[in-house]
Parts: sequence; C-alpha cells; structure tokens
Amino acid sequence: MINQYTAKYRRFMMGEGAYFWLLLPVFIFVAAIAIYPLLFSLGISLFEYRLTDPDQVKTFIGLANYVKAFNDPVILESFQSTFLFVIGTVVIEISFGLGLALLLTAENIVSQFIRSFLLLPMALPPLVIGLVWKALYNVDWGIIPFYAKMLGLNLGHGPLAQPGWALPAVILVDIWEWTPLLMFIFLAGIKSLPIEPYEAAVVDGASRWKSFIYLTLPLLKPTFLVAILLRTMQSFKVFDIIYATTAGGPGLETTVLNFQIYKVGMIFFDMGYASALANILLFIVVILAVIYVLVLERQQL
Amino acid sequence: MYKKSKLEKIILGIVTFLVFAFFMIPIYWLVITSFKYGRDAFTLPPQWIFFPATLHNYTDALQNSKSLMYIKNSLIVTSLTTVLSLALGVPAGYAIARTKWKLLNSSSFFFLILLMVPPTATLIPYYLIMRDLHLLGSYWALILLNTAFDASFVVWMMRSYFKDVPIEMEEAALVDGASHFTAFFRIALPLSVPGIISSALYCIIYSWNDFIFALMLTSPKTKTIPLGILSSFSAVDVSWGQMTTLSVLAIIPAVIISLFLNRYFVQGLTMGATKG
Repeated sequence: MINQYTAKYRRFMMGEGAYFWLLLPVFIFVAAIAIYPLLFSLGISLFEYRLTDPDQVKTFIGLANYVKAFNDPVILESFQSTFLFVIGTVVIEISFGLGLALLLTAENIVSQFIRSFLLLPMALPPLVIGLVWKALYNVDWGIIPFYAKMLGLNLGHGPLAQPGWALPAVILVDIWEWTPLLMFIFLAGIKSLPIEPYEAAVVDGASRWKSFIYLTLPLLKPTFLVAILLRTMQSFKVFDIIYATTAGGPGLETTVLNFQIYKVGMIFFDMGYASALANILLFIVVILAVIYVLVLERQQL
Repeated sequence: MYKKSKLEKIILGIVTFLVFAFFMIPIYWLVITSFKYGRDAFTLPPQWIFFPATLHNYTDALQNSKSLMYIKNSLIVTSLTTVLSLALGVPAGYAIARTKWKLLNSSSFFFLILLMVPPTATLIPYYLIMRDLHLLGSYWALILLNTAFDASFVVWMMRSYFKDVPIEMEEAALVDGASHFTAFFRIALPLSVPGIISSALYCIIYSWNDFIFALMLTSPKTKTIPLGILSSFSAVDVSWGQMTTLSVLAIIPAVIISLFLNRYFVQGLTMGATKG
C-alpha cells in the first residue's frame, strides 16, 4: 500500500510531474508580485481613497470612479491624445519599418553594419532618449529649431511648447525609438517568404512594383498583423519619453492616458481614481493582448 | 532577380545614408556633448567635429559620490533582477516547451499577456502594498517588480528556444533511466546557452533602462542612473555636463549589446516578437 503511493509520488516528482515543479516557482512569484496587485487594484478602484487625506479613510463608492472617468473632461482629452499618439506612431512606424526592411534586406557589409547600429535606439534607456530629444528641440540652443530656421521654418516657442506641434514632436521621438524594431520584424518576415511565386512572376514578366504589390504585401499579412498589434500595445504604454520631453504639455496636448494615471496616482495621490483609470487602460491592452495571442496561436498551426 | 540601374543605386545609397544619419545624430550629439566644455556645449551653429575636447565631465562624475551611488544602485538592481529572472524563467520555459499537459502548455500565453500589462496598472497597487510592508525605497521593492516582468519574458523566450532544441538526446537519457530533472540540467541546459545569453541581455537592458518603477519605488539612497540623470536637472542650475556624462554611462550596456552582441539581441527580437 505504502509502496504503491511512493511509486505514484516518485512518478509525479520524476515523470511528467517534473515539468509542473519546474514551472511552479515562477507561477507563485508572478502571482504574488504582479497578479495580486492587479486584483488589489480592482478593490481600491471601488473606494474613495486619497493618500493626501490625513486619516486616509477609505470610503466605498462602488463604480463611481469609473463613472467619473467617462465624464471627466481631462480624461476624455487624454483619451483623444492617446488615440492620436497610437494611430500616429503605429501607422508611420509600420510604413517606415517596412521601407527600411526593404532598403536594408541585402546581406552585404554595408547593410549589416547599418542594421547593427539601428539596434541602438530601442536598446537605449527611453528616459535618455527623451532628454536628448528635448535638448535637440530646445528653442534657444537646440539644433532642430536652428536648422529649421536656416530652412526658413520658424518653430515659435520650440516644437515641444507650441500647441499643435508638441504631439507630432513627441511622435517623432517614438518613431526614432521604435521604427528599427519594426524593420527587424519585417526583415524576419521577408526572409521567410517562399521564392517560387517570385520566380513565376519573373517568368510572367511582372514588374518589380507589381510583384511587391501582388506578392510581397499579401504574403506579409501575418507579419503586418503581429507588428500592428505589438506596437499598438506598446504605444498605449508610452510614459518615459512623455515624462522627459513635455510632461504632458502644452496644456493637455501630450497627456496620454498612461501619463494621466501617473499624475492622478503619484502627484495628486488619488489612489482610488488612479486605480480605476489604470484598470480601464489595462482592459484595453488586455483585449489587444488576447487578440495578439489568438493571432500567434493561429499562425503556429 | 531584378537588376538595378545605376541611377537607382545612387538614389538608394543617398536614402540609406540619410536614414543612418537620422538614427545616429541624436546619439552622436549626446556623446560629443559629454566631451565638451560647458561654454561650448550649446554654441550655435553646433560644432559637430572640431571642438575643444575635455574629460572633465567624466572626472567630475567619477569623483562625485552621488554619481557613483547611482551607478552602484543600477548595478545591484540589474544584476539581481537578471539572475532571479533567469533562475525562475529558464526552467519554466523548458517545462512549457516539453510538457504534453495542455494546461501547462498554454500557460505560456499567460506570461505573454502579463508582459503587455501597462506598468502603471501594477505600480499603483504595488506601491501601496510595498508601503504597508515598509519596503518602499528598498532595493527589493524594485528588484521584485522588475523580476516579475523580466521572468515572464524569459519564460516566453526560452520556451521558443527549447522548442528548437532537438529532443532526441533527452529522450535517450530518459530511456536510460534519468529523471526529467536530470534531462533538463545535464542535457537541455548546456545546449541552450545561446538562448540563455540572449534572455540575460534582455533582462539587463530592461532593468538597466527601467525608469517608471524606479521613479516611484526608490528612495534617495536607492536611486538608479535614470533618476540620477533627472536629478541633475532639479538642481538650481541644470548641469548638462553631469546629465550627458551619466547618460553616456547609461547607454553603455545598450551600445555593447547592439554593436558587439547583436547576434543574440536580434535572435531575441524576432523570437520574442513574431514567433509563437
């Protein structure tokens, strides 16, 4: 009897069960450090809870924080900024990324050299990227307003302070940072394309432009899907470069939702409301993430 | 397949050069500014190639006890985060790649979704929890949160890596009576060193570059380099020398990894981003 159990136990420890034991530590860790706070945050979002309040009372107010969010003009404006930022960065980065991939697809020394340097922007600390661009944009001594003036373009108070210019200026920083990533994703996609359709196209006398439009683009559809989803999710989370360049200004022009959450939570210390806003952002991103997972899973088959 | 005309080659060459310039100028500006005297840093038109060079920004920074503290803190947080993330993530990635148990298999997607969670969503409750545990401002508050995300990344990446490691040798060992643990430690692990290096580089980059977690979880004594860079602004006058010098120190891992270890880095990019 006892022998039977020890045999079973041994099998579980040593057989397929071993996989369970190898996986368990990271599960416990992630549940404690990342999942528990997320559940905790669902709880706080139902309370009026300000750390600036001397007694720090928590008052249960149900879904009032969520209702407030959708009637708060600041939040509605930050939704708009987020939307513009995400659309702007994703569309431009995808097109530039594909262009770069086509430009640098050759396996010669020059392409390889440039490609390894293009790894730099995405490996740098985003805060440093933001601060460097802030210096380049500086209206008094920055090189961008200086050269713009030489070309006859007056940037007024500098791109970061001029309403209407700040959002494009920040989008440009993001483009600088992330276009190379898309280039590498598209390069991987292009390298995995089958060669036969192109041979057939040459035989049929199709031009290079036609084979790009009718072969390359459709064959790259899975790559496009993955790239768009991945960048959209990352773009929703932008924080460091906003913090470093404009701090959300001028006005609320570059206050994306993620930055507004930081302001509500860590500057105004309105924890209940900040949690509710964070959960709204989380909801959007997790939906995108689930779609992303489904797409990846389908491509595996 | 298609031949390019001479004109086309020239145009493509010019475009390539412009692209390269666009991506390199900000980095070049940062590096040369760190070697300039304060008075030369912001003269217009900018001095791109010839300027009186100096090392005094660096000697200042390396004699400044605060700068040294930021560097020390960044090294502590990065090394512990990397070691912990690998210790937790590599075995888990192996288990997911090898198990026939459906539930464990699809748990990899749980880690992928977790990677996408906006930092602010965890940070606000995490901040409150750490405050109640009196861990705010400690190294551990920062290391644990960084590890939760980095370990998830390692799981996802090592799973893809182990899937490409041939299973036959492990199966042979299992037939010979070795346990699954032995198969992992003795056979699969040595074969997966390139994947582990690649994962480690990502952990290093993520934790070294992290700003938002450090912004909210550190105290003046545990500030990392990015916060040190910021504090050169909050002083009465902005110290651009200190800012650029610390920034150059902050980009060293990125430069080494991009230019000298790019084989491992690119592997991770395409593996983590596109491959299921």
